[in-house]
Amino acid sequence: MAETYPINIWINEERFAKLQKAGLDGLTQDAFAGLKKLPVPNTMDQVQRLLKLYPKAKFDSATTKTIELLPRDVKDEIFDMVVASGKIDIMEDFLKKHGA
Amino acid sequence: MEYIGHGGKKLVERVITDKNEALNKIKGLTSVPVRRQLATEAISLSYGFFSPLEGFMTKADVDAVCKNMTLADGTVWSIPIVFDISDKEIADYGIKVGSSILLTYEGNPLAVFEIEDIFTYDRAAWSQAVYGTTDEKHPGVKRTLDYKDKFLGGKITLVNPPKFNPPFDQYWLTPKQHRDKFAEKGWKRIVAHQTRNVPHSGHEWLMKHAWMATHGDLSMEETEQGKAITGVLVNAIIGEKRVGDYIDQAIILAQDALRKYGYFRDDVHMTSFTLWDMRYAGPKEAVHHAIIRTNLGLTHHMFGRDHAGVGTYYGAYDAHRIFNTIPKDKLGITPIFVVEWLYCPHCGEVTCTALCNHKKEWQGFSGTVIRSIIMDGVKPPRLIFRPEVFDIVMECADKYGFGSPFVTPEYLEKGQQAFRIDPL
Repeated sequence: MAETYPINIWINEERFAKLQKAGLDGLTQDAFAGLKKLPVPNTMDQVQRLLKLYPKAKFDSATTKTIELLPRDVKDEIFDMVVASGKIDIMEDFLKKHGA
Repeated sequence: MEYIGHGGKKLVERVITDKNEALNKIKGLTSVPVRRQLATEAISLSYGFFSPLEGFMTKADVDAVCKNMTLADGTVWSIPIVFDISDKEIADYGIKVGSSILLTYEGNPLAVFEIEDIFTYDRAAWSQAVYGTTDEKHPGVKRTLDYKDKFLGGKITLVNPPKFNPPFDQYWLTPKQHRDKFAEKGWKRIVAHQTRNVPHSGHEWLMKHAWMATHGDLSMEETEQGKAITGVLVNAIIGEKRVGDYIDQAIILAQDALRKYGYFRDDVHMTSFTLWDMRYAGPKEAVHHAIIRTNLGLTHHMFGRDHAGVGTYYGAYDAHRIFNTIPKDKLGITPIFVVEWLYCPHCGEVTCTALCNHKKEWQGFSGTVIRSIIMDGVKPPRLIFRPEVFDIVMECADKYGFGSPFVTPEYLEKGQQAFRIDPL
């Protein structure tokens, strides 16, 4: 499987409740002894398109190979798309929706 | 106490504190307003943060920095400290070599500038020499290319010391005051932690590692008795901010929170700051940081992975390797090289890549990851981010950041600066 570069959506109680309701809580991963994250995968092509769309975001190439510093409302939208579609692989749809 | 700075030369301090003397000194001088960056560099020059420089560089110094990584007199120096000005301003203010001008900031007198040189310099050659690239996307290169037409070189004398706004007033020390404080604490060795970030526990462990490496072969008796002879100085860089950075107040108070809430003992940890706009020059900036901290009286300086780097312009350990090219007698500070710390669920603790062998289980984290977690409205767990630090950051958001711990356009427009220059 090709390497993916996730957007980690950090899960608070409200988000976890929504995931449970949608039966998607199994998609979360434990992190840092006490956190849960929902890793939404991207290809490198999707990373580049996303960074063009949100230039303030950052691809952490050195430490985590993740996309960080996306605005909260963008991550909320990605999270809502995951919950609504019932799948994690939604970034192509998200990018197309935003013309990227 | 004798104050010897970088290059084995007497620490510079060109500051007039007597009001009448200052008023006499500036009488009849043409006032030239300066932007924040130049004001902060004039302040740093005057107090000796950039010793042995006594003022903004002349062409001979810039040339030597670019070609040899030294000043014209052979002292190691890696980043030009320059005063840029337009041709129009030179004409309008009648600036000539041999004249003096009064630099003003926000309408008030700041410093007297004795003009010794007016010059131009090849900015592409400068960028290549200092930043290793001429790519305009590099923030240091961009700054270099954006400088105005000419540069003025010459000595600077501060005539109106800055006043620091809370909370910075608790943490401002001049180089001489740093040294006096270290003497008062009885510190024999002091290691610098360079930062422009709120600390996560990876930073905390870097500092602990650096403290142990610095203490090295010294006796532990004094430390056991509660009177440590080795200290960690967190010397935060306070300067130009970009949207999304932590606000400066959060940085300085959160760093001090590690001591205040007992993650470091009072006798081993101290926080202060230096006014400086990061150039992101990677290895060259590492040398610059070493020079500044030498002037503050530190004996050791911690350098982590990709120190002062940006993007992919520098290798992860370029800022370590550059110190192998500098003769030990040319730099009066010992570098302490540290590796990355991360969370290992197998060990159940924050550990370091040089020691832990559960590589497949490692969970790396960075300041950026912590920022992302906070931006998501989630409180990071205590193992990677101390709860007291989180609380301080959030208090700063309310008190100084218009509701955000991160720099926003509103903070840039209305946020209180670290310092002000009052009327003389």
